[in-house]
Amino acid sequence: MSRHGIPHNSWTSLSIRTGSLLYLAVMVILPLVALGVQAAEPGPWAFWNEFTNPFAWHALKLTFTTALAMVAINAITGTATAWVLVRYDFPGKGFMNALIDLPFAVPTVVTGIMLVALYGPTSTLGAIMGQSGFAVIYQVPGIILALLFVTYPFVIRSVQPVLYEMDRAEEEAAATLGADDWTIFWRVTLPTLWPAIVTGSALSFSRALGEFGSVVMVAGNRPLATKTGPMYIFGEIESGNRHGAMVVSVVLLTCSLGILIVLNRLQRRGDESHGR
Amino acid sequence: MTQVLLSGCGSSGPTPSGADTLTIGAYSVVREALHDGILPAFRAQWKARTGREVRFEESYNASGAQARAIRSGFDADIAILSLEGDMTLLVKQGLVKESWDKGPNRGMVTRSLVVIGVRDGNPKAIVDWSDLAREGVAVLYPDPKSSGGARWNINAIYGSGLLAAQGDRAAGLAQLASVQKNVVNMDASGRQSMATFDRGTGDAVVTYENELLLQRKLGRGAAPYVVPNSTLLIESPAALVEASIERHRNRQLAEAFLEFLTSNEGQEVLVKYGFRPLDPSIDNPARPPLPTGLFTMKDLGGWPKIKKDVYDAGGIWDSLFIGSQVTNRGK
Repeated sequence: MSRHGIPHNSWTSLSIRTGSLLYLAVMVILPLVALGVQAAEPGPWAFWNEFTNPFAWHALKLTFTTALAMVAINAITGTATAWVLVRYDFPGKGFMNALIDLPFAVPTVVTGIMLVALYGPTSTLGAIMGQSGFAVIYQVPGIILALLFVTYPFVIRSVQPVLYEMDRAEEEAAATLGADDWTIFWRVTLPTLWPAIVTGSALSFSRALGEFGSVVMVAGNRPLATKTGPMYIFGEIESGNRHGAMVVSVVLLTCSLGILIVLNRLQRRGDESHGR
Repeated sequence: MTQVLLSGCGSSGPTPSGADTLTIGAYSVVREALHDGILPAFRAQWKARTGREVRFEESYNASGAQARAIRSGFDADIAILSLEGDMTLLVKQGLVKESWDKGPNRGMVTRSLVVIGVRDGNPKAIVDWSDLAREGVAVLYPDPKSSGGARWNINAIYGSGLLAAQGDRAAGLAQLASVQKNVVNMDASGRQSMATFDRGTGDAVVTYENELLLQRKLGRGAAPYVVPNSTLLIESPAALVEASIERHRNRQLAEAFLEFLTSNEGQEVLVKYGFRPLDPSIDNPARPPLPTGLFTMKDLGGWPKIKKDVYDAGGIWDSLFIGSQVTNRGK
């Protein structure tokens, strides 16, 4: 029972394990099971009907595509930001580092209002963009923008510690052997960072699937155009179609869970191949 | 079942302080009129009549959410809701008497009109629903899926098209579709829609007259609006929640309050907050008279029919978008 030389009372160990499993069950598993049961109750045919309803289908598709677009951008910009914070020294670095987490502290509705004020049709920038056919607010790009803001810290915060701890001897060895900067990054640095980038991306993706407060302010919420899954769920609950809302929730959650499991596997494989 | 739930929470009987307590569950739009106007006025009247103090417990929420809260055990003595259908929900649960709508006002306590809020000076020269369909006019109204109260707005646009064509649903649909194509943003509630308009988005907002007049009263600008000649009279109900009254033993107080709401004194307070009175003769003479083409939900066949025709799955509301998707594909 005692691992790593830490003495364990087997009774304490058992109760801690039972306790944390129970806590997980009560906090996460129980509500999810209740949701699943209620969604499944009217039968597979009813479930299928709600799932293939064009409004539900479009909302789900929009939620996934915008979340994927956000992840693609975040994976690159987040890694670059972490890189800058770890590898460079410049005045105000500490302040910049502190700013990174701020998007978590801003109420999402405020995020939405702020984005509308900045890029909305009444702002100078938004008016210019609108006239040139690149309207952001009340269009799909606005949704991606809101998601980028609310998930901003995830990739940075998972890549940053890995970069800090990274042994630079490998990079130096590659440089000595004549590799250029780009090759070093691509062949030496990135493979080490990869699992961290995947973790950060997975977290931001899951977070994005359920995002409501900011998206509802910027999306425009037009059915079959800019209405996302969470807004669809809210509308169906308010108009008395609880089952339709639950079906869409279950689909969102299942996909989210599936992606987390797959990424978890990928990450573990990455860890193993790097001897971690 | 509900009875068991209800008896399981909260205390019963008069409060120990000796004051009479009345719990009100209302829809959000009446908040200011109730909290700042009706409640103080009724408190004074009750004090003069009985010598006793009234303590109010107030809850404001979207009409549907409020009805669901009361159904699940929120012990409001009085339910003031936006939609008749939300009251029907409480009747079905046995919380409100089936005869709630049999009185002289059919259970209705607040009235308003569906109007079009415009920008200062009405730069887009909007006077009627057809102007909302013009190219380059950006329109706002809330999503009728997430906001029950938004259905008043949709019904007004749909209904004016419907009635102009002697009840031809296709004409109603066409009118609604022509406006919907100019809608830039659909907020989750009427208040949010108003806020979006205030922040500068859109040329026109379809909303209730009292919401715009409240903006003026609160000093948030001139809030200019136009009353389309053919528009819908909004009539919202209030009723006693029998189960709560039995438990709180405050029937006399609750009945007096409901009576006050429909009395001229109560209605005059509501007029100050922008509502139209039940009795047109006490209306504020300074504001636009009721339009000649005013219609009611009864003229449209009643709420159950409209719910089925317009809002149920596969109804007119859904077909607006399925239709537009088909044309988009064809392009």
